Amino acid sequence: MAGIVKPPGEFSITPHKVSVCILLQIYAPSVQISLPFPFASVAQHNRLGLFLLALTKSCDDILEPKLDELIGQLREVFGVLNPRFIDHLTTRLSALSSPDDLFNFFSEMRGILGGPESGALEDEQVILDPASNLGMFLRRCILAFNLLAFEGVCHLLTNIGVYCKEALSSCASYETTCFEDSSSNLEAFPEYENMDLENFVFKKVTEEIEARKRASERVSFHLHAPKALFNLVEDIEAPADPKSKHGDKVGEASSYVHPPDYALREFEPNSGIFLRTNWQIQGYLQEQADALEKNGSSFSLNAFELILRQLHKLAPELHRVHFLRYLNSLCHDDYFAALENLLRYFDYSAGTEGIDFVPPASGSNSFGRYEIALLFLGMMHFQFGHPKQALEVLTEAVRVSQQLSNDTCLAYTLAAICNLLSEIGVSSTAGILGSSFSPLTSIGISLSVQQQLFVLLRGSLKRAESLKLKRLVASNHLAMAKFDLTHVQRPLVSFGPKASMKLRTCPTNVCKELRLSSHLISEFSFESSTMTTDGAFSTAWLKNLQKPLGSAILSQENGSGSNENAFQFCVQPSSIPGPVLQLIGSSYLLRATAWELYGSAPLARINALVYATCFTDASSSSDAALAYVKLIQHLAVFRGYKEAFAALKIAEEKFLSVSKSRILILKLQLLHERALHRGHLKLAQQVCDELGVLASSVTGVDMELKTEASLRHARTLLAANQYSEAAAVAHSLFCMCYKFNLQVENATVLLLLAEVHKRSGNAVLGLPYALASLSFCQSFNLDLLKASATLTLAELWLSLGSNHAKRALSLIQGALPMILGHGGLELRARAYIAEAKCYLSDPSFSVSENSEVVLDPLSQASVELQVLEYHELAAETFYLMAIVFHKLGQLEEREEAANSFKKHMMALENPLDDEDPLFNVL
Amino acid sequence: MNSKESCRSELRIAIRQLSDRCLYTASKWAAEQLMGIEQDPANFTPSNTRFQWGSSSIRRRFRTNEITSTPIAGVSYVSTPVMEEDDAVDGDFYLLAKSYFDCQEYRRAAHVLRDQTGKKSVFLRSYALYLAGEKRKEEEVIELEGPLGKSDSVNCELVSLERELSTLRKNGSIDPFGLYLYGLVLKEKGSENVARTVLVESVNSYPWNWNAWSELQSLCTTIDTLNSLNLNNHWMKDFFLASAYQEIRMHSESLAKYEYLQGTFGYSNYIQAQIAKAQYSLREFQQVETIFEELLRNDPYRVEDMDMYSNVLYANECSSALSYLAHRVFMTDKYRPESCCIIGNYYSLKGQHEKSVMYFRRALKLNKNYLSAWTLMGHEYIEMKNTPAAVDAYRQAIDINQCDYRAWYGLGQAYEMMGMPFYALHYFRKSVFLQPNDSRLWISMAHCYETDQLHMLEEAIKCYRRAANCNDREAIALHQLAKLQYELGRPEEAAFYYKKDLERMEAEEREGPNMVEALLYLATYCKSQKRFEEAEVYCTRLLDFTGPEKETAKSLLQGMRTTQSGFPLMDVEHFSP
Repeated sequence: MAGIVKPPGEFSITPHKVSVCILLQIYAPSVQISLPFPFASVAQHNRLGLFLLALTKSCDDILEPKLDELIGQLREVFGVLNPRFIDHLTTRLSALSSPDDLFNFFSEMRGILGGPESGALEDEQVILDPASNLGMFLRRCILAFNLLAFEGVCHLLTNIGVYCKEALSSCASYETTCFEDSSSNLEAFPEYENMDLENFVFKKVTEEIEARKRASERVSFHLHAPKALFNLVEDIEAPADPKSKHGDKVGEASSYVHPPDYALREFEPNSGIFLRTNWQIQGYLQEQADALEKNGSSFSLNAFELILRQLHKLAPELHRVHFLRYLNSLCHDDYFAALENLLRYFDYSAGTEGIDFVPPASGSNSFGRYEIALLFLGMMHFQFGHPKQALEVLTEAVRVSQQLSNDTCLAYTLAAICNLLSEIGVSSTAGILGSSFSPLTSIGISLSVQQQLFVLLRGSLKRAESLKLKRLVASNHLAMAKFDLTHVQRPLVSFGPKASMKLRTCPTNVCKELRLSSHLISEFSFESSTMTTDGAFSTAWLKNLQKPLGSAILSQENGSGSNENAFQFCVQPSSIPGPVLQLIGSSYLLRATAWELYGSAPLARINALVYATCFTDASSSSDAALAYVKLIQHLAVFRGYKEAFAALKIAEEKFLSVSKSRILILKLQLLHERALHRGHLKLAQQVCDELGVLASSVTGVDMELKTEASLRHARTLLAANQYSEAAAVAHSLFCMCYKFNLQVENATVLLLLAEVHKRSGNAVLGLPYALASLSFCQSFNLDLLKASATLTLAELWLSLGSNHAKRALSLIQGALPMILGHGGLELRARAYIAEAKCYLSDPSFSVSENSEVVLDPLSQASVELQVLEYHELAAETFYLMAIVFHKLGQLEEREEAANSFKKHMMALENPLDDEDPLFNVL
Repeated sequence: MNSKESCRSELRIAIRQLSDRCLYTASKWAAEQLMGIEQDPANFTPSNTRFQWGSSSIRRRFRTNEITSTPIAGVSYVSTPVMEEDDAVDGDFYLLAKSYFDCQEYRRAAHVLRDQTGKKSVFLRSYALYLAGEKRKEEEVIELEGPLGKSDSVNCELVSLERELSTLRKNGSIDPFGLYLYGLVLKEKGSENVARTVLVESVNSYPWNWNAWSELQSLCTTIDTLNSLNLNNHWMKDFFLASAYQEIRMHSESLAKYEYLQGTFGYSNYIQAQIAKAQYSLREFQQVETIFEELLRNDPYRVEDMDMYSNVLYANECSSALSYLAHRVFMTDKYRPESCCIIGNYYSLKGQHEKSVMYFRRALKLNKNYLSAWTLMGHEYIEMKNTPAAVDAYRQAIDINQCDYRAWYGLGQAYEMMGMPFYALHYFRKSVFLQPNDSRLWISMAHCYETDQLHMLEEAIKCYRRAANCNDREAIALHQLAKLQYELGRPEEAAFYYKKDLERMEAEEREGPNMVEALLYLATYCKSQKRFEEAEVYCTRLLDFTGPEKETAKSLLQGMRTTQSGFPLMDVEHFSP
């Protein structure tokens, strides 16, 4: 039934728990049994106690170990010293052959619990305090057994049979001993008068075991691909759980704990006859959902789907399985399956399961919460790049959640809409967004998309703050920062005397928002304990043991282990929930982006580094890939391609198949850049086309990639000296950017246009473009781009004639601090060359007097350009150097420079002389 | 068509053989068909015949000349030799086992036959084991119903049965009944393709086992799989095809087949009920009702298919007939899912939805996969405004059968009720995809598009057009189309649809506000188009109605007359119908 959530997990008695009980009995023998189990030493006894403690603590774990695994653990803990436990354990287990045995067993168990009245004790008697951990466990087991109906006892008996049988068949050496044991046991108990009956029961049990086995084989038969399943399951294990390796290193500390790759073994076809509690499965699903989110595409679609389907068969009322199936198909871009599963999930669960929404204050909520379904559907459409449907659905979500006054959902929906609007180019929202939630539209003022987005963002933020949805507040702050970064705020209502507004973006606002968003972490560190979602905690205990020190995670990153102390919070993995870490991580990513735009390379790099070192563990792999991309781009710009490609190789290995597109795009970008520099224009064009193909064909989707592709197209054309075509492409790009309000990109495009005109010799035409670009840069605080625009402007002036050389020089010198401080190799080299040219063309400048002024920058430029392999500019540099040397009369140096010039010209003209190994990768 | 006589004799033997193997449903079915054949009064008196077939000596004699008994008529039916029976070597064991089986002591029966090797004994033993496993499985499902809802209990006999039967099949020592059981086991295990081949093998060598046919049919969910079956041309194949067509919603084809079969089996209740089912799907309720009335007259204690009859009675709102039917089935067998469903329908018609839900729930307890009960329960919840429960019920129905367009439609309605029209659209789309010829579905979808929230009128128009094309009984579509076209500022199209609507109303002799609206619009439209003659016709027709429209019509007429003084009043009256 919809709306009815089953109570999470009951404590049900399983064969494993029976084993633990037997071990408990060994640990604390009851008074009646005269002969306590002989322990070799007190230490060993204590060790058993510790081991039992660990076992009982993990008894709510998703998986219970099989008997052979338990035995293996026992062996590991005790070494070869005392295998008598194990014999005892198996003997006792296989002696349980009729329901009556079980009854006797549990009443015996009751004896080892020390009652409050048991005062008189012998000295060495170990008593189990009923209130202790072990005592509680035992009491729970006894209670659970007493609650069982006779059928339940029968099933337990059958399960114990299977449990033993599996262990025995897995290690043949045990088989004989155990069967002997069991038969000898039968003889050893003379109170069983009716031996025939006993034998019959036993036989029946084994028969049933057989049948069970066959029946469980049947499952694999049904799935048609047991082999494949196994392989795929292994597939999943490998990348999804890199931590387990670290866990192994920990060795002794974690040997009490089952290694985590169990988690999947449960669903191997030939296990899984023991029912897990709802709670345990929920925990498993939660884990898988997190893993999916982190690195979705490393999951194999079909394998996981098979597991889920099987799970669904076992637990049809556990609707979260459908949600997982949705996530799975979402990760693999299967639109139809995703849609189908999403709808099914919400049809069944009515939105009342599994989402950590605050339950509405008004208690009566019989109508389900289908608005959440709308929210998810909208996000799904967004993910698949259907902005129109997404907006449509989200608008409906807004309406419905308003109707049902589900403020939480409304806040989330508004945030989703903001996200949608900011990510996707929408040229007009007319008729799509209802008027209901914008206070201004009711006055009859039509707003531009940006203004609407701003209003929405403010509203959403306010709502989230008043509802105390901390994570949403943080992410809203992030969205706000993103908005502030790229948009100039204008007055929303323009009547009355115009307030004097400076039309600039406000970096302080961005910083403020970013800081506000990271306040989240301090809030969460106070209330960490309340954040454990159900089921997750049953495995949290294990996880904590697996990584006793965060250093294992941190040090795997590229040697920046020194940062550890600064980010202590990583060391306590359970204290801060993953999503919070993720949000904070993305604030760092956004910081990096912001600094990139504002033109501070070191700060951008530091922030990306912080992200890569501290947050990759918690973040989704695509975000992590983004951080890597940023770092590699930085490398390419500042250190040249060789290092960048080396780093790219590492990144490619790390994100093997994961979020392939981002790394792929980066690769294409680097290849294009290098091809342009080396003059491989054909290759450049090809790469550029490849890049363009990656973008979705829907208008408004993948805007970033589309702009990038056509920008690169224009640059390629420019490099091929096809000026008019380049100008046309740039022009249409400008139109598109203008339409979709991509202001930052506009500045770049304008600069490119200026460049085109400069190269085509129309300096006069180029000037206005350069100036326009400058003003754009100014209003968006794009300092580095501004410096580069200034440089272009200077070059334009210079090309107007030598009488403008002074003006050009002063322009360049104004921009030099910025360029030298933050600019990349190419920009710096260009600035140097331009400076030298200015001096050279200045008629009042004499080379012979002041040769250093020219030669220094030129030699600097030549070094940098050689790193970049930018043949064209390098040739120009050497040409200029040769001229200078000629004027100075230094013939040897002149020849050298001339030779270098020739070399670069040759390389430029015969671009295909060296085969490009990287291109083959494409 | 096969001669009736041969059909009859084939069936007679088959019934014996089937009930010998405890395939009771199949033998019941065969017996019903046997009685469905028109009796030839010249030959024997029926009682005489039945008495004679009872003795085994006659059966044996018959078997020897059975090949001659299959007709060599002009139709290309394959004559399937009736299979050889085992000799009664293990006869005594068999008799004991069969008695145990009849008392539902399956394991005991299987145990008796443990060492018997005759084909019949082998079959009965395996079948008994299978049923014992099924029974145990059902029990386990209830026993193990833990916090996860459902256990993974399976029929634990399947593996051993499969092993045994596959060896038998490889040896070639398997009879058609064994093949049927093998197919059943394979189907349970999920290997549908093999199951299909095995079942085809079974029905080709022994076509009278209706159980095998129905298993085969449940494995054919698309027309392609159906066509790919390599079936012998026996008259039983026609029964199979008819029922399979029905299942894949090719109702008219199915109807044709049944009508053809009626040529031989003129009195078959089964065929009549199936025809009723097809007619019901084609929404010919009147015919369905007559068929069922006749059926009940012949077979007053019938419970099968009566839920459909109750649906028809419900649709026609015959509450007394429905109560009579409910009472009757209740007295016959109250713990049949059908009975509960009928009672549920009755309470629903009476507006007592809680009770109705209770009975649907009971029906579902008796049969968890009872499709129509889920859907009907969904409808009840909708009536009770408990949309989440309705959604859940509909979704259950869909997960049982993806092709249940009613459930998809119900889901759409539920979401539309909750004010989520865009979300509902997906479900409506699903339902019209499955049932593209149902105008109601198209109209609901159009409504959805028309809502204030979506206001996608162009799409609504498209839907209404589809609805108008598929025999829209309530005549909503044309009217809505006209209105929408008018709203969108297309007077010409609006006039066109109003005119069509008017023609329709005239043909069906209906009058009402829609008529007035159409006339008024057409009058104004014609006037604005300067087609005064036509306009006057409409105006004069309007004069027959009372209400404000009459006055409007009068003033319109007056206005026209002033502009066109040449028109005498007499002409106007002349045009009036």
